[in-house]
Amino acid sequence: MTEQRVILVDGVAGYWGGRVAERLSAEPDLHVIGLDTQLPQQGSGIDFIQAEIRNSLLMELLKEEKVHTYVHLAFVENDRPSETAFESNVMGTMKVLSACAEAQVKRVVLKSSTLIYGAGPGNSAFLREDHPLNAKRNFGTLRDLIEIENFCTGFRSQSPEVQLTLLRFANIIGPTVDSPLTRFLRNDTAPLLLGFDPVIQVIHEEDVVNALVHAAIYDVPGIYNVAAQGAMPLFKLTGLAGKFPVPVLHPIAYLGESLLGSQFTPIDFDYFRYPCVGDLRRMREDLEFAPAYQAEEAVRDFVARRKHKAAASALTPQEAEEERLRLIIERRKSIRQQTARGVPARAQPRGRPAVEVGADLDGGAESADSDLYEEESQ
Amino acid sequence: MTEPKKPNRRRSPVRAASAAPVEQKSPNGDGEGKVETALASTEEIGFSPSEPDIEKASPGPNSSLAEAEGQEEVPVEQLQQQLMQELNELTKRLKELSPAFIPTQIPGAQGLLAAAQNILGKANFDKLRSVAGDLLDLDTWKGAWYIANHMLQAQAGTVQRRLRGEYETDEWGMDPEVIDAVIPFFEFLYRKYWRVTTTGLEHVPSSGRALFVVNHSGQLPFDGAMLAAAVKLEHPSNRLIRTMFASWFPTLPFLAPLFVKCGQVLATEDNGVRLLENEELVSVFPEGYKGVGKLYKERYQLARFGRGGFIRMALKTQSPILPVAVVGAEETYISIAKSDALANLLGFPYFPITATFPWLGPLGFIPLPTKWFIDIGAPIPMNEYGPKGDQNLMLVSQLTDQVRGVVQKMINDRLAQRRSVFRG
Repeated sequence: MTEQRVILVDGVAGYWGGRVAERLSAEPDLHVIGLDTQLPQQGSGIDFIQAEIRNSLLMELLKEEKVHTYVHLAFVENDRPSETAFESNVMGTMKVLSACAEAQVKRVVLKSSTLIYGAGPGNSAFLREDHPLNAKRNFGTLRDLIEIENFCTGFRSQSPEVQLTLLRFANIIGPTVDSPLTRFLRNDTAPLLLGFDPVIQVIHEEDVVNALVHAAIYDVPGIYNVAAQGAMPLFKLTGLAGKFPVPVLHPIAYLGESLLGSQFTPIDFDYFRYPCVGDLRRMREDLEFAPAYQAEEAVRDFVARRKHKAAASALTPQEAEEERLRLIIERRKSIRQQTARGVPARAQPRGRPAVEVGADLDGGAESADSDLYEEESQ
Repeated sequence: MTEPKKPNRRRSPVRAASAAPVEQKSPNGDGEGKVETALASTEEIGFSPSEPDIEKASPGPNSSLAEAEGQEEVPVEQLQQQLMQELNELTKRLKELSPAFIPTQIPGAQGLLAAAQNILGKANFDKLRSVAGDLLDLDTWKGAWYIANHMLQAQAGTVQRRLRGEYETDEWGMDPEVIDAVIPFFEFLYRKYWRVTTTGLEHVPSSGRALFVVNHSGQLPFDGAMLAAAVKLEHPSNRLIRTMFASWFPTLPFLAPLFVKCGQVLATEDNGVRLLENEELVSVFPEGYKGVGKLYKERYQLARFGRGGFIRMALKTQSPILPVAVVGAEETYISIAKSDALANLLGFPYFPITATFPWLGPLGFIPLPTKWFIDIGAPIPMNEYGPKGDQNLMLVSQLTDQVRGVVQKMINDRLAQRRSVFRG
């Protein structure tokens, strides 16, 4: 294939969009177009277009640029269900999918979560991809994801010519990512439930990026649970992460959650009470993806690099800036070497140094994703 | 009078033994020898300043009892000597293991004894001592304290390690350390309390999949634990049975994680199939709540066998079914009635009113020490129906009835042989 395949990634100013676009642009034979309402925080050499995904001319753009693959990562994390977030997340996805069908885009990749199965006492130990989406709708992110997934089910039968790849990730953990689980682990007072210790599944942030890149490059339509090998009991996770467990009687915990919501707990207490673990057989056999980090390694990496960062914060601003740039250089070098060797996305070396996206994100971690649509919501 | 006297403080297990009526007839000589041993042991432990000649110097008020030492009960004495020797060995080994270990003082123990002596008066106090024996002896407690302290320190290491998350579980959450910790309790129930007799263990495969289908009874699901204990303790392979539990248990604090850590799994078809595909032993109780919550008058009459899910599991994975009859568990609680109102109020699947529960509160949970029989029948093969057999509704319902009939017959056979509920 001499012609470069065009991949469009939206939400490139956000955490996932930025990282996935950067990785894809290092692959040969790919032309990566980044799309967002804001400029990405650092130019990573991608072809950037400042636009809004709900623009009705999106279809024209896709047609004109001959986009082959659309990686839809613009998503506003929201704890409380919010109308503006719903508007951009759900309506935005609907617009994107219909534009893709219209513009004859071959492949669409979406990022979802295994938490949408919901945690319940009747859950099997390993939930297959066809499990009903029973999650409670009191957290905005999950509500929006369920809406998106329900739309996708209809879309798949209406437009079978578009290959839809839905990756449902387990709880994301890592030194730079801002996810409900990392918020929970970083918060010293976030409580657990007394007398409950369900098995919990995690996935390292690097593996999330790897899996999205994998799905964008290879021809693997379908829905897949994606998580690290080795689900572990919740108290083992908090123990490894060095978080002192604060167990609370469950009726009190639920009362606190209904009163204070996400201020009290970043994750709904059902997930600390019942298991919600995805079956990974399809990930291994059909997606042919193997996460680089085992669950325990992912947690240890989260802890180790947090400590490293704490030490780094003792540097003077100038030293810190130099250190940051040095890491960027190393990182870009390693990406270039990988692609030069022709190593596919799944064979990632481990223990890469802290990443510049994270260094930026760490300061404004909360705002990174939610800033995406700030302008339009005003 | 108010000043407590100390010379007789040091005592020995002799008196404890002499307090027992069996030993009243024994003469002095043997008793002296044993005092030596006891003293040696306390010196090994090395708490109090040694008073080597105390047993000769001061017969004290209890000398009459020492004279009444038992001679005919030689085995008991030997046992005591063995015990003291074992204690000596143990403390010696503990000292070698951690020479720096110094147990903390028992706070206020000395003062407490003195106060007791003050309040009761010397004579009464000595009388009490002669009855309570070693329980009032400070050295007994020092020995116990030393060992308990050492064990606590060793345990503290384990607890800290577990708090750091450094332990292994399998993907289902089964935790071998927790299983090792609870086995002694279930071994006690299995061997001592219910004196379980298990037959047919030769039908249990040493490797590979098999599905136990068991009658459910006894208000609390001890029958599953006893079947698992039978295979774990008595089968040469010591395999762990993954018992399947109903969806009420995951809602219960403490019990839910304990079940999971002990390798038990929620009863769903997906879980069962996956376990059997992993070549595990799985046990199911198809009667469910209907079986375990039976009234006493309905005992040993099998309830409906679910909706045939267990047959579909076995057919899909072509696993042999091992029918199991548990007899004796029905009588552990005498369920007179069931309260639907209380069950609804508390969210329980059933609320039994037994002879002791809820009248005696937590004491009502203590099961009766009946004699149990676990009979494991010959395996019923499931591989002759082909891999699509689980989709044949007629076949599933026929096999369900067939297996239910086998289990019922095994129960009836055992009941016919049984002479007594408590003695078997």
